[in-house]
Amino acid sequence: MLDGFAYCQMIFDAQGRPVDFIYLLVNKKFNELTGLKGVVGKKVTEVIPGIGKDNPEILEVYGRVASTGVPEKFETYVKRLDVWLLISVYSPKKGFFAALFEDIHIQKKVEMDLANETLAIRNLLSDIKIQKNEVETAKVKEETALLAIGDGLLSTDENGKITLINKTAENLLNLRSEDVVGKSYSEVITIENEKNVIVPLDKRPIKLALTGITTNTNHSGFFYYYLRKDKTKFPAAMTVTPIILNNKVIGAIEIFRDITKEKEINKAKTEFVSLASHQLRTPLTAISWYTEMILNGDVGKVHAQQKKYLEEVYHGNRRMVELVNTLLNVSRIELGTFVIKQEPVDVIAMAESSLDEQKFNIQHRNLKITTNFDKNVPQLLADPKTFPLVFQNILSNAIDYSYSGGKIDFSIENDKGKNILIKISDNGLGIPKNQQHQIFTKLFRADNIIDKNTDGTGLGLYIAKSIVESSGGKIWFESEENKGSTFFISLPADGQKK
Amino acid sequence: MSSADSKSNKKAFLIEIVEDDASLANVLQDKFKLEGFDVSIAKEGEEGLAIALSKRPDLILLDIMMPKMDGLEMMKKLRNGDEWGKNVPIILLTNLSADDERINWAIAENAPAYYLMKSNWTINDLVDKIRERLSRK
Repeated sequence: MLDGFAYCQMIFDAQGRPVDFIYLLVNKKFNELTGLKGVVGKKVTEVIPGIGKDNPEILEVYGRVASTGVPEKFETYVKRLDVWLLISVYSPKKGFFAALFEDIHIQKKVEMDLANETLAIRNLLSDIKIQKNEVETAKVKEETALLAIGDGLLSTDENGKITLINKTAENLLNLRSEDVVGKSYSEVITIENEKNVIVPLDKRPIKLALTGITTNTNHSGFFYYYLRKDKTKFPAAMTVTPIILNNKVIGAIEIFRDITKEKEINKAKTEFVSLASHQLRTPLTAISWYTEMILNGDVGKVHAQQKKYLEEVYHGNRRMVELVNTLLNVSRIELGTFVIKQEPVDVIAMAESSLDEQKFNIQHRNLKITTNFDKNVPQLLADPKTFPLVFQNILSNAIDYSYSGGKIDFSIENDKGKNILIKISDNGLGIPKNQQHQIFTKLFRADNIIDKNTDGTGLGLYIAKSIVESSGGKIWFESEENKGSTFFISLPADGQKK
Repeated sequence: MSSADSKSNKKAFLIEIVEDDASLANVLQDKFKLEGFDVSIAKEGEEGLAIALSKRPDLILLDIMMPKMDGLEMMKKLRNGDEWGKNVPIILLTNLSADDERINWAIAENAPAYYLMKSNWTINDLVDKIRERLSRK
């Protein structure tokens, strides 16, 4: 037999409550299932102590069946025996019962696992529902926010057809959403570059974004004029970003802002700076030339002590002129007015010229200069008026921060035919490690040179970096305190259009 | 004093200085005279143009920022005038940086010999530059 079997006599108390039973007959399976042995003739309370407490339902059911004769079936977990049983009970004779026991621990486990899984899935579904709601809410919020932002916004699908245009864009462009959605972007919107030349389709930022060529276009000094149907136009700063899903470009978003006001302010600033620097330079020129005339002996003899004092005046004047020039350069960088007119320049000639300018200082500090200019270096596309500032600033640093009698190496080489690599190195003061990350920031001067050298604005490297980067190049350095510094500049050989 | 003086039978070069700042104009005049040049001074572009056309200097030192008529306008008028005006060497001597599109256009169109920043040039170097240009008639 597959089931366990037990035939028992029920014992009732004075009140007729089932309190115990005696095992009259059991089979081998019963022994196996319960782990109980030699139970025949014994009371259950002897064999499984505490059964009344742990599983009162067992005695109840047995008692009921034994009295009523109505068979019952139930499941129970007998703690004492650590076993799940399906028990079928019937009564062949009043006061007696027979029970069949089936081990259902496996089914029970399956049931419980199923119950757990069901619970888990329900929880998951509940979470998903919550998240879905959150996403939808966020989406609605975003859409509302996007449509309401103060910048013009429009999006296109992967073919450049307009899918969305917000209120600001409608207003700025004098268009209505219903007129343009679904139409091709290039039909609807025309833009001109800063030189007022209409931008051809293949160069338009939306086209570039859709074909995955660029992501953001950044708008410092880089703007377009948007043309309206009535031929009026306005300058705008624009950013275009492709929308990418599963590694495919499925559309693009263009955000633009009317910068008419900003341009006017910029123009006013530029004019102010220009005027201010002009006004500052004029009296400085007067001091310079008059002092020069006296020092030349052109207005009478000057004795040694006077000469010395006048030289101090002259020196101070020169410093001020340098300062005005530097401040003006910084201001021009900030305002984006460095007129970067790219032409092919002979970078070696520039380097030699910058060394020439520093002849006096080099001799004065007894410095040894070695140069290594590769004649095969290609021409560089750069602005001949501003690029010399790069050499000027780095070279003057190398000179100023060298020890007397030090050495400076200046080399220009061809880097794999694609780039020009310029190196200027000295064996002087160097830059302390913990300040190296600040070297290119405005007005920064490292502690070890502030002590030794009161001249210097802290602006030279900021200027050099700005010029190098707007020529499409990179600038970096290696340095060790008291050992020296090497500055590297890498520039693309064919130059880069802004 | 200077070599120009000893060549007394040779006519001295005439330099016209068009500059509204009297202090600067005066020191330039003093220096050029010491160097053996003849000097004419104008305080702004209109006066400068009149003097240039009547005296026909060998070289014009031209400031840009001046009242009434500025240096760029005077240069344009000279270049658009007679043959002499088209060819007279003009050195723009200013304290304005060439940031302005207007200045760049003017330079491109009217071909001054040089564009020099006053505050970057010593008076001696200025004289050398002038001599160099004059020797290249």
